[in-house]
Amino acid sequence: MNENRRQILEMLAAGKVTADEAEQLLVALEPDTTATAGTFTGRIPASDPSAESTVKTRAKYLRVLVEANEKGAPTTVNVRVPMQLLRAGVRLASLIPMQAHDELDKTLSRHGIPLTLSQIKPENLEELIDHLEDLSVDVDAREEKAKVRVFCE
Amino acid sequence: MIPSFAILQVEAPHFHMPRLWLPLFLLWIPIFLISPLIFIVIFGLSTAGRISPWRAIAVFWSILCALPGTHVHVSTHDSKVLVRIL
Repeated sequence: MNENRRQILEMLAAGKVTADEAEQLLVALEPDTTATAGTFTGRIPASDPSAESTVKTRAKYLRVLVEANEKGAPTTVNVRVPMQLLRAGVRLASLIPMQAHDELDKTLSRHGIPLTLSQIKPENLEELIDHLEDLSVDVDAREEKAKVRVFCE
Repeated sequence: MIPSFAILQVEAPHFHMPRLWLPLFLLWIPIFLISPLIFIVIFGLSTAGRISPWRAIAVFWSILCALPGTHVHVSTHDSKVLVRIL
């Protein structure tokens, strides 16, 4: 059982949401219904108005923000990549012909990346993308006057 | 959902392009017309690479459908590039 599902059930058990609301939240957590998940972002009003709860929904975008100051001039980079695009992109690896795997493995290890492509399964890649949702990188280089943020939203 | 519009804007010190809304959905008409040729090329390349052509089509279709929502914005003090896919 994942964290979100458990959280919803705990809210139901504590009487913070009704059974109908809990059902809607559980449906929104289903992988195939991510499009409707946006309905439930933010704070969910509970049956008890004094007790509002926040339910984390699936991240839809990977965001990269860079603010730098090159030669006194501000430079900003703002990139938003749909998580779905990352998922589709990693499937490209399955199109690499088997005969190219050995060559790629050798080249990667020569450049200090000990990776065996044939050992990477599609489910591993899916798992990797899923865990990206918890990723948050903040780099604040004061001397370089640069700030980098990588996060999912 | 396949991309329907792309927004493109480029600004440089000696070059200024107004924000362009590119109707990508109009591209589907010529693509549909040359689809037999595209299929032949995909089948040829897939056979040469010893991969399933259906898998190749599925992967590229899923990438295409995942493109909407992409947003890239880079700006410096005198230049700006904006690409959005809707």
